[in-house]
Amino acid sequence: MSAARSISNEFNSYHWFVKLMMMLVVVGAVSAIIRFVFGLGATTNLSDRYPWGLWVSFDIVTAVPLAAGAFTLGAIVHCFNIKKLEPLVRPAIVTGFLGYSLVCVGLLVDLGQPHKGWHVLIHWNLQSPMFEVAMCVLAYTTVLFIEFLAPVAEKFGWKLSIRVLRWFELPLVILAASISTLHQSSLWTFFVIAVDKLHNLWYNPLLPLLFFMSAICAGICIIILEAISCHKWMGQPNEDELLATLIKILPWTIGAYIIVRILSMIFLGGRPVFDTPVMTWLFAVEMGVGFILPFIMFSRMSIQNNVRFMGSAAALLIFGVIMNRFNVSMFGMMDPNEIYFPSMIESLVTLGIIAAHILLFVVIARHFPIFEHHTEPEEHPLPAYSRS
Amino acid sequence: MSKVNIKKGNVFLIDLTKCTGCRGCMVACKQWNQLQAEETDFFSGEGYQNPRSTSEHTFTLIKFREYEKNGKIEFSFYKEMCMHCDDPACVSVCPVNAFVKTPEGPVIYESDLCIGCRFCMIGCPFNMAKYEWSKKLPLVKKCDGCYSRIKEGLEPACVTACATAMDYGPHDEILKMAQQRLKQFPDRYLDKIYGKDEAGGTGVFYLTSEPFEELGFDTVTKRALPSYTWPALSLVPATFLTVGAGLSALTWITNRRERIEKEKNEKLDKQNSTESKEEQI
Ligand code: SF4
Ligand code: SF4
Ligand code: SF4
Repeated sequence: MSAARSISNEFNSYHWFVKLMMMLVVVGAVSAIIRFVFGLGATTNLSDRYPWGLWVSFDIVTAVPLAAGAFTLGAIVHCFNIKKLEPLVRPAIVTGFLGYSLVCVGLLVDLGQPHKGWHVLIHWNLQSPMFEVAMCVLAYTTVLFIEFLAPVAEKFGWKLSIRVLRWFELPLVILAASISTLHQSSLWTFFVIAVDKLHNLWYNPLLPLLFFMSAICAGICIIILEAISCHKWMGQPNEDELLATLIKILPWTIGAYIIVRILSMIFLGGRPVFDTPVMTWLFAVEMGVGFILPFIMFSRMSIQNNVRFMGSAAALLIFGVIMNRFNVSMFGMMDPNEIYFPSMIESLVTLGIIAAHILLFVVIARHFPIFEHHTEPEEHPLPAYSRS
Repeated sequence: MSKVNIKKGNVFLIDLTKCTGCRGCMVACKQWNQLQAEETDFFSGEGYQNPRSTSEHTFTLIKFREYEKNGKIEFSFYKEMCMHCDDPACVSVCPVNAFVKTPEGPVIYESDLCIGCRFCMIGCPFNMAKYEWSKKLPLVKKCDGCYSRIKEGLEPACVTACATAMDYGPHDEILKMAQQRLKQFPDRYLDKIYGKDEAGGTGVFYLTSEPFEELGFDTVTKRALPSYTWPALSLVPATFLTVGAGLSALTWITNRRERIEKEKNEKLDKQNSTESKEEQI
């Protein structure tokens, strides 16, 4: 009885938005059950023409770069030694961990034979980009899980674990960055095989590199948005000053992406490029609104140190990256005679996954010390080399 | 007609100028593979073939193509099936090695391994891997080149059924046969063997009198598809090590500066304290 009461108290204490998220998660879970009971063919709009749909395009191909903040920030803070950004690392790790766990969930929902998913672990095919991504996602989810254990250990006061985790922190950061480099880029190797299927605006042999570069930009922007919204809605301290440091990095990464993107399209892409007006529009919106506009905004910001437009610029870039992933994995391969549109079940499951991410983040942020600024407590002495 | 040689890679030769559109191959394929019948419909667009396209129930399909030539309407038939590529995309992209290119020629599928990611369907340049959308735990379906027959030295069911247009046998012999026909009847054929170079070479050769594009053949790259992804994938171990080592080095350097400074300070502290102790004494 008291357990039920404490749960209902907990439930009532949340903002209506969080309650809405809970509802969406439940609806999504029910939809996923329906998908398993009736099968893929009956519940989705997938077909032999569109073997991959919304679940691959969003839950996997888009969600992975959006969760790139964890490794990017880890590398910035620990490897490039920009220590003042440290307070942002933990929320980023939580986001990353949730993101990747949900990628795994999305993958399982999408697989036709989910009960055989573990075959990837024993029947290796080194030629397959899918094999590589699957292995990396598994490995990286594990790494993120270990990194995520730090706030858990602190919450429950497991001193020994805290010490051990601290000791592993640096090797884990480096491992995370290396694994991420691999799968963030390999996700696009997926589409390198779609030689005559993907439109020339997007198809080119540098896809893996481009995918990696844009993932870094997206990861940083997600951190910015997250910090802003946590300040606004969750009563967390204002991190604007830290974000301003982060923003100085962005024009470089976005700029580099835009240059490589355009050069590779001119010199390495196939012809013709601008033959279908719809594709040209999609490309123009992706590039113009999603990359060039935020690039201009971010670069002016860093000069004037003006963080006013920070949120909207970050949102625009994220829009650009999402658009880009959909263009590559869905729109760029569309057949005008037979348009794919996600079914109700597909959409509800994806909505549920997004809601689950937000919901879990809120719950974790409330119960675990992820926002506290960490000065290292004296009772957890550290091995000398990893002391910051 | 040449004989199957199970020691060598075998290929199909499909001579569309000789195809009468009887669909005997379709029936034979359905029978041999025990495939269920499909409900068909009349549709406009690509042609009057039935069903519309290959699927989980139909591994091979005679497509019917209308086109204009010298102001007259002409038509032609085209047998669609898995091309049994020499270096198949479906084999390279499958994360669990469910597809295998056999030495006898056919590209086969081991359903026990498949996890159902459907990457093979994206990878196949001819869109020949189909999915069991009607099942709850679906698998991939496609023509397996009648592998069980080939192993016994028998021709594929569709070739046996075909009265006029199909041959099957070792790669070199069939290629010679095709080239000979092109040389012998230059006005009957278009001077090209579709499938010889497509996707880096396949196990199905087509001869025709009309441009292949007009018959509905996809224009497919001449490079083997795995050669597109391999350059990126072969960089994987090197990238992993480079990024790992690079970041480690960077961390060591950036942290070293701090450490040196700290040590200096500590030394100074110690000196100061010993000095002060000495003073006290
Ligand atoms: S045609 Fe497609 S399914 Fe057949 S072997 Fe080639 S890649 Fe594989
Ligand atoms: S669907 Fe099956 S056969 Fe096709 S790539 Fe995935 S695991 Fe391999
Ligand atoms: S080779 Fe066998 S499976 Fe393939 S189309 Fe012919 S009869 Fe069907």
